[in-house]
Amino acid sequence: MPGDILIEVRELTKRYGGVVALADMNLTVERGTVHAVVGENGAGKSTLMKILAGAVHPDSGTIKVGGETVAFDSPNDARKRGIGIVYQELSLFPERSVLANLYVNREPAAFGIVSTRKMEAESRDILDRLGLHVEVDAPVGRLSIGERQLVELARVLLEEPQLIILDEPNSALNERETQRLFAVLRQLSARGHTMLYVSHRLEEVFAISDRVTITRNGRDVLTRDRADLTIPEVIEGMIGAQQDALFPPPLPAVAGRAEERIVIKGLSGGPLKDVDLTARSGEVVGLAGLEGSGVSALLAILFGTQKARAGKVTFPDDRGLPRSPTDAARRGVCLVPADRRRNGLMLEKSILFNISQVFVGAQTGGSWLYRNGPAFARAQRQIDNLKIKARSPWTLANQLSGGNQQKIVIGKWLEVGPKVFLLDDPTRGVDVGAKREIYGLIRKMSSDGGIVLFSSTELPELVGLCDRIVVFYQGRIAGELSGVDDHTLLHVINTGEMPAAAERSEATP
Amino acid sequence: MTDTGTAPEPSASRRRFRMPEETGVIIALVLMILIIGIARPRFLNPINLLTILSHTTFQGMLAVGMVYLLAIREIDLSVGWIFNFSAVFTGLLMVAGVDPWIAAFGGVAFGALLGLFNGILSVGLRLPAIIVTLGTYSMFQGLSLVVNNGRAVVPPDQDTSYFNAVAAKIFGIVPVAALVFVVLAIVMHFVLHRTKFGYRVQAVGSNPEAAELAGISNATIKLQTLVLMGAICGLSGAMYIGFRGAIDPNEGSDFVLVVVAAVIIGGTPLSGGYGTVIGAVVGMMIIQVISSGLIFFGIDATWSTFVTGAVIVLAVSLDQLIKFQRARRANRVKLEQDSATEP
Repeated sequence: MPGDILIEVRELTKRYGGVVALADMNLTVERGTVHAVVGENGAGKSTLMKILAGAVHPDSGTIKVGGETVAFDSPNDARKRGIGIVYQELSLFPERSVLANLYVNREPAAFGIVSTRKMEAESRDILDRLGLHVEVDAPVGRLSIGERQLVELARVLLEEPQLIILDEPNSALNERETQRLFAVLRQLSARGHTMLYVSHRLEEVFAISDRVTITRNGRDVLTRDRADLTIPEVIEGMIGAQQDALFPPPLPAVAGRAEERIVIKGLSGGPLKDVDLTARSGEVVGLAGLEGSGVSALLAILFGTQKARAGKVTFPDDRGLPRSPTDAARRGVCLVPADRRRNGLMLEKSILFNISQVFVGAQTGGSWLYRNGPAFARAQRQIDNLKIKARSPWTLANQLSGGNQQKIVIGKWLEVGPKVFLLDDPTRGVDVGAKREIYGLIRKMSSDGGIVLFSSTELPELVGLCDRIVVFYQGRIAGELSGVDDHTLLHVINTGEMPAAAERSEATP
Repeated sequence: MTDTGTAPEPSASRRRFRMPEETGVIIALVLMILIIGIARPRFLNPINLLTILSHTTFQGMLAVGMVYLLAIREIDLSVGWIFNFSAVFTGLLMVAGVDPWIAAFGGVAFGALLGLFNGILSVGLRLPAIIVTLGTYSMFQGLSLVVNNGRAVVPPDQDTSYFNAVAAKIFGIVPVAALVFVVLAIVMHFVLHRTKFGYRVQAVGSNPEAAELAGISNATIKLQTLVLMGAICGLSGAMYIGFRGAIDPNEGSDFVLVVVAAVIIGGTPLSGGYGTVIGAVVGMMIIQVISSGLIFFGIDATWSTFVTGAVIVLAVSLDQLIKFQRARRANRVKLEQDSATEP
C-alpha cells in the first residue's frame, strides 16, 4: 500500500544540556517500506529513534502514528502503538537464558507461574525464521555477538510491531553475521513489515532500503527513493560543505623536538596476533577495525590495563610495556578512553579536581600536599588552553556538555606533558564545533613531538585527520592505508582485504 | 591553607563562599543540646558536656578512620575487634613487663598489622572489604578471646606516666583522651582534603575506573586505607586501656554499627567520593547527646538504641532531600548557562 503513511514526524527538537541533538527533524515513513536514516555520528539519528521508541522525550515537535498524534511517556507507550526497537547497544541480560530475555517483563504465565513451555512454543517459529539455532535455556552471555543481536531482534518481533526500528544493528557483527541479518530483514520486508533502518554504512543502506532520509546536525537534509540516489550524493548530504574546514591541516613541526618512536614487534594478546607496528613522533596514526578486531586491545596493552601474551614493545624511554596504568602515566603514556563518563571523569567532582587526576593521582615526588592554589592554576591553565566553556574551575564535570567534558579528559593528561597519546574514539558523542577543536588539539599533540595513536569509529575522521591508517581485521593488521576515501577504508575494515590501488599507496612514504 | 603563590589572583582561587557541608549536622547538634539544656539546665554544665565528648572518644576515633573507608566505597566491619584485640595486646605487653609507652606504640602497630591483614586479603582476593572483614570480625574476636582467656586484661603498676598521662585532665576538666581525639580528627580532616593521599581517596571513591585509568592504583589506596583504619583502631585500643586501666573481653563488640551510624549522620555518603571527618565527629556526639539526654529526662536508657536508629533514618532522609534539591538547582543552572552560550 504505497502512500499509506505509518509514521509522521514534524519539527522535532531535542537538546541535551548544551548539545543540540535534534534541531528540526522531519520524517515520513510509508507502511511496508524499509526506510533508511543515514548520517554521521551525532547527526541525530539515534536520538530520533529513541524518541520514536518512547525512551527519550522530545523538547518540541509532533509525532503521528497512523495519522493520530501521540505522546510517548515511556517505552511501554511506544510498544503499545506497535513500535519495536532493536538498540545499537545490546540491551540483553547476559546471565539469563535466551527465553527469559525474549520475554522480559511480559512472561506468559499459567496459574501465576512463568510457563517456559509456552514461551518455547511461541518463540520457536520466530527463532527458526531468524535461523537462530541455539539452546534456548542457555544464558545469553554464551552466545556470539551476532547471535545475541538476533535474540534482540527476535524479542522485538515477538511483540509483532507495526514498525521495527533497527539502530545500527550490525555495528558489532562480522561479514557473515551481517549477511544473515540482511537475509532475515529482506524476508521480513517481503512479509510487509515496515522498518526504519539506521546506519552510517552506506553499502548496507543501499542494499536493504527502499527510501533514504539523510540527516545532518539534527536536521533532515533530504529524503528520496533509493533508486534515485547515488552513494556520492548521500555522502555529500551527510557531510555537507564543511568537510575541508573540519580537519585542520598538519602544523609545522616544532623546531628542536625529539624524534621518538614506539616499536611494536610480534605483539599478541587478547584478539591480537603477531602485530608489527611503528609509530613516530609528529605523525597521527589512525587505528581502524570492527569491534573485537584488536584496536581496543592494542590500546589497552600499550596502556598497561591488559597483558600481552607475546611480543616486544619499545617505548620512547627504551623500556617495554607499562606494568600498570600507574606505570604508564608516570612514563608519559596517556589514554583518552572511549567512554569518558565511565572511564575518564569524576562527574560529581569539579573541573579543578578532575584536571588534577593524573598530576596529583599518579605522579610521584613533589609535595605530599594537595593544595587548592596550584590545582586552581592547573585548571585555569587548561580551561584557557583548551577553551573549556565553564563558569569557573569549581563547576562540576557533569554540568558540562560532552565536548567540554572530553576536553577535561584531554586536559588532565596535557598537564603532565605525555609523550605517547592513545586516543580511543575521542570525539564520540561530541558536537561538531568541539570536534573541530579536538582535531586541532590532536594536530598540536603530534607537532609538539607526541606519538599519536588515534582510534575512531568514524571513517571521515580517520581519513581526514590521520597521516596513515592501520586497519585491523580479526586480530591482525590487514594493511596500512593513506590518502584513501571512506569507501576503500570501509571495504578493508569489513573484509580485511586490501584493494590493489591501496597496496600501491601504501608503498608511497 | 593559604596558598596564593601560583594562582593568578589570590582571591580567584577561592570558591564563592558556600556553607560548609557540616553546617547542617552542627546546627542539629547545637539545637539538641539547647533543647535538652532548656528543659534540664544541669545538662549545659561544661563538665557534663566534656564528659559527653570524652565518652565519644574511643568510638569517635574509629569513626574518623571509617570516613576514609566510606569515601572509597568500602566498609570495615572488624573495627570493634581490631580495637579490642589491640587493647588486649597492649595490656598483655604491659603485663609481660614492657614499658607502657612502648606497649602502647606496640598496640598501634598491632592494629595496623591487623588492618594490613584485612587489606592484603581484600586486595589479593579482589573482594570488597565488607566481605573480608565479615570473616576477620570473628577471627579477631576469637583470637582475642584465646589470648585473654575470656577474662579482662588488667595491666599492673597503673601509677606510671602512661596511665597518668592518658587519664589526666588538663586544667582539671579537659580529658587528655578527648583532646587526642579532637587533634586526630583535625589532622585527618586536613589529610583528606589537603594531601595527595586524601585526593586519591576521594578520586577512587568518585569513580574507581576513571581513577585507575588516571594512574591511581585502586588496590594501593584500598590497602593504605585499611592499614590506616587498623592503626587508628590500635591507637584507640591502646588509649582505652590507659584510660580505663583494663580491657573487658567484650568491649568493642557493638562498636561498628555506632561508628558507621556516626559517619552517615555526619554526612558522608555510602556512595563514596566524599567524606567529612568533622561531620563524623559531630555525628558521634549527636548519638552520645541522645543517650545522655534521655537519661536527663529520666527515660529508660534502653530507649537510646531506638532513638539512635530513628536519628539515622532522619539524617539520611534529610540528606537525600537536600541532594535532590541541589541536583534540581544544578540542573537549572546548567540550562541557564546553555541558553546563555547560545549563539
